[in-house]
Order: sequence, then structure tokens, then C-alpha cells
Amino acid sequence: MTWQITKNFLLFLLILVGFILILLLPRERAITTSGPLQFDAHYPFSLELYLESIEEFVTYIKTEKGFGETRGGNPILDEVKRFMTRSLKIIVPAFIISMIVGSLLGLLQFYLRHRKCGKVLSFFSWVFASIPDFFLFIAIQYLLMRAGLPKFGLFGNEEWYSFIIPLISLTIFPLAHMIKVTVVAMENEMGQDYVRTVFSKGLNKVEAIKHMFWNCWSTMVNQSQMVMLYILSSLPIIEKISSYNGAGYQLLQSILNNEDIRALGLMLPFLILMFLVVVISQAIKNWYIPKEVRGGL
Amino acid sequence: MRLAKFVKDNFLLCFGVVLILLLLFVTFVGPYLPLIDQELEEVQYLWTEDDIPIPPPFEPSNENYLIGSDHAGRDLLSLLVMGAKETLLVVILITLVRYIIAIPLAFFAHKKWLGTHLMLNWLNGFLSYIPTILMVLLIVMLPPFLFTEFRPVYLVLIIALVEVGRAADAVKLELDEISSKEYILSGVVAGAGSFRLFKYYFLPFIYGKLIVYMITDLGKVMFLIGQLAFIGVFVSQYLIQVDAGQFAIRNSSISWPMLLMNATRDIRMAIWIPFWSAFAMAFTIFSLNILAQGIQNLFKKRNTYI
Repeated sequence: MTWQITKNFLLFLLILVGFILILLLPRERAITTSGPLQFDAHYPFSLELYLESIEEFVTYIKTEKGFGETRGGNPILDEVKRFMTRSLKIIVPAFIISMIVGSLLGLLQFYLRHRKCGKVLSFFSWVFASIPDFFLFIAIQYLLMRAGLPKFGLFGNEEWYSFIIPLISLTIFPLAHMIKVTVVAMENEMGQDYVRTVFSKGLNKVEAIKHMFWNCWSTMVNQSQMVMLYILSSLPIIEKISSYNGAGYQLLQSILNNEDIRALGLMLPFLILMFLVVVISQAIKNWYIPKEVRGGL
Repeated sequence: MRLAKFVKDNFLLCFGVVLILLLLFVTFVGPYLPLIDQELEEVQYLWTEDDIPIPPPFEPSNENYLIGSDHAGRDLLSLLVMGAKETLLVVILITLVRYIIAIPLAFFAHKKWLGTHLMLNWLNGFLSYIPTILMVLLIVMLPPFLFTEFRPVYLVLIIALVEVGRAADAVKLELDEISSKEYILSGVVAGAGSFRLFKYYFLPFIYGKLIVYMITDLGKVMFLIGQLAFIGVFVSQYLIQVDAGQFAIRNSSISWPMLLMNATRDIRMAIWIPFWSAFAMAFTIFSLNILAQGIQNLFKKRNTYI
């Protein structure tokens, strides 16, 4: 257990270093004049330049003893904290809803799969698993505008409810993914002998599903990293089109503007979030899942 | 009767095939339909009854503009239909390149040849932490790719390569599973070399899975291209000088992602432009996923006690 966490931590550090190395690849532009009102853009790209920028980065971190300040003069850490709290309001509910509601709906869909309403449910989960979140967001906006409903602000981050529409568009896809994973995991179990034993003892379908669930749920916990990754991948785009202005959007901007240090400062919380999800799901698996099942996976 | 039973048993597959056929019809026959303006004429102004000029983008439900027009006054429906071919071509190209590299990679990783499997593990470990879109963004903004006339080629390669590890890993898992089956031993006993084994003992059993993976990946690539469009990264773009010492990336194509270029602003002004172009993408992804699931269900014959 301790070894596993240490191993994951080392992996996390390596990934962090790898990310910094990619971030520091030289991207500065040099412009030379080649005639009256005619300029050439050059992007010098050489090993020396790369080493130089790495060295610069190391000395910067050393002298500032941290991330230092933005171009505007605010401490980067304060800024990261501000944007991150804003984004966490979307990330955390999206993650929890997808994991818990997703698994429950998956169980329901499995339970009802031979009935008509089960088929309808599975069709809908298929539809939602195939709709890109940006389309969903735009569609919600279009519908609300058409309906003439909104007496409230659809965009921005000023109101307490501003996070709801981005949250919905961000949750649907991982939610549908979880439903799919749950159903597939349950279907893999349905041919096992112990299921027959459950019925031969005279227990009903609900009891059988309970048995199967405990054998499936390590597969489901395994998906937590995937779900988090989905959410973090789409977050910047959704934040951009909804003008939510959280950490994801700021990260995009800082990468596009070549602000290496700021990009790193904004990326770090996301990486830590991923790391936490990995470690916690590992811990849950170790504590709650029968050893026999764990051995089999 | 048998046809009706087949349709009933494989509803998803049939539904998926119908959707794909519809998509192909729009792509290849669509441009010649009477509703579509092949020239993509740019209209500067429309006049109202009171002789007041309206500048584009024109709203939908106008007689000539069924789903509206873009900022240059081109009919959006024609634009989407004409752009379908290019969009699909890019998506298919990326997926093909990805799998042409991923399949041999998976085979080598399965054979643990020259540490390929370790490399694959590392690549996937890295990408399970960092979102693909950020990786693509970090790489495409690098000077060697930004400042070249072959930028589209590089972009196709980069988008294909970034997720090659995930694709290879999925194929490798299939290979691992097959190689633990007993009939493989019979091939070894019969004296088949590794190429022969691969061709006659492995491939026939993973064709189906491969097709499913590739179709799903087509959808994923379309999704990624759409996301990249919101950030302003397109497959077909080049760098030009716009002013003294000022450079900008210009686009010269009519593919769907291009219409999402100003999406953040358009959502407030002319929401039909991002809506319908995102709809075209969503429809494509949806039909591909339905088809993939339909094919997958064909192979799924399980015994059950519940």
C-alpha cells in the first residue's frame, strides 16, 4: 500500500518533469526586416536555446522561491487560487455526479435491460455518450434563447448560478461513459456460476445484482481516472465558450501567450487533482475490495 | 420475414448503417442537390421591405437561408454540405495514420520487442495525466510546425501520433488475450513463424475488434478537431504577414471546424453558425458511435444466468 502510493508519487513527479520539459521548448519569435515594410518571422528552434530556457526556468524558480508574479504584477499563486476555486465548483460536482449517478443509472439500465423502459434508457445513454459537450452547451444556449426564457445571465461567472450550465454540459459525457462501463462490467459477470447459485438458493434478481455489483465495482473505481481526465480535457473549452473564466481557460490563454511559469502554475493543481484521484481510488480498492477479485484484475 | 428479424435483432447496426449512408449521401451527392449553392456566393446585403439593408450574418428561416448564413453572407447549409468532404477526409486520414502505426506497435509491444511495451506504458501513463488537447496545443504551437508550408501534414501526423499509444494499447490487450488461447499453441506446434502466426492466427480474430476501434476513433478524432477549433487550431491554416511586423495565422478552407473559429463571439451574435456546424460534427460522431456499437453487438454472444 505505502509502496503503491510512493510509486504513484514518483510517477507523478516524472510526469510533472516531462510536462515542464515540453512546456519549455523554445517558442519565442524573432522578426527580421527583409525590405521596406516587409518582415520575416523566424522561430529559432535549437538545442542551445532549449537548454538556455531550461536554465532560465531553474534560476527563476530559485530566485523567486516560488512562481513569482504575473506580467500584471499579481502573485501567480493568488491568481491560481482564485481561478482554481472557481473551476473546482464545476470539477468536483461533475466528478462526483458522474461517478455515483453514473454507476447507479448503469445498474438500473442493466436491471431493466429486457423491458421497454430499459431499452429507452440505454438508447438515451448512447445518445448522450455520442454528443460532444461543446455541442450540448451551444444547444442549451440556443434552446434557452429561442424559448425567450432567460431573465438570467447565460454567460460569465458573476452570479451564483453561473456554474450550472457549464456543469451540465461537462457532466453528461462522463456520466454516459460511467453508465456504459457499469453495464459492460455487469454483462461480463452474468455468465458466472455464482449467479446461478444465487438463483438456486431462491433469492431474487435484486439479490443477484447485489452479488454481481460487489464483483464489478473495482472495474468501476478504475474508471475514476478516466472520468477525471474527460472532465479536465473539456473544462478549458467549456469555460472558454461560456466565458466562465476559470483555471482551465486561463491555462489555455497562458499556453497560447507563451507564459511558461503561469501555465505551469495553473497546470499544477490539475495534475495534483489527477494524482489525488489515482491515490484515493487505489486506497478504496485496497480497503473495500475482496482480495480474490483484486487478484483477478 | 428474415430481414425483419435481422433488423429487429441488430437494430443498432441497421440504424448506424442508415445514418452513415445518410452522411455519405450528403457528402457526395449533396453538393449537386438543387437546394445547395455550389458557388458559395457571398451576399453583401439583404434588403428589407422598407428598403433597409441588413448586413450578414443573416438569420435562419429566411427564404434563401434555411439555417442562416455565415459572416460573409454565404448560405450555411451549402457551406456545411460542401465542407463535408474535406472534413471527413481529414478525420479518416488521421485515424488511418494512427492505426497504421498503432498495429505494428501493438504487435511489437505484445512480443516485448526492444522494450516497446515499456515505451507504450510510459506514453499511456503520461497521457492518462495530461489531457490530449493540451498536448496537441503544446506541440502544434512549436516553431518547426508553426512555420512551414506543410503545416497540414504535420498537424495530421501530430494529432494521429498523440493518441497512438492509447490505440496501440487497446490492440495489444486484444493480442495478449488471444495469445493465451490454446489454438495458438497448435500453430506453434505446426511450425508457423511469427509473421504467419500473426496473419493467420491473430488477425482473423481481431479484424472485428479493429474495425470497432477504428470507427470509434473516427468519432474521437472528430471530437478533438472540434475542440481544437474553439482554441483556434485548425488542420488547414498557414502563416501570413498582415501588417508591418505583424503575423497572423490564416485559414483557407471550408471544413466544419473553420465555422467554429469565432464561436465565443458568435454564440452571442449569430448562434446558428456554431450551432449548426457543431451539430454536423455531433451528428457524425453519433452515427459513427452507433455503427461501432452495432458491429460490437454482432460479436457479443454471451451465456447468461440472469
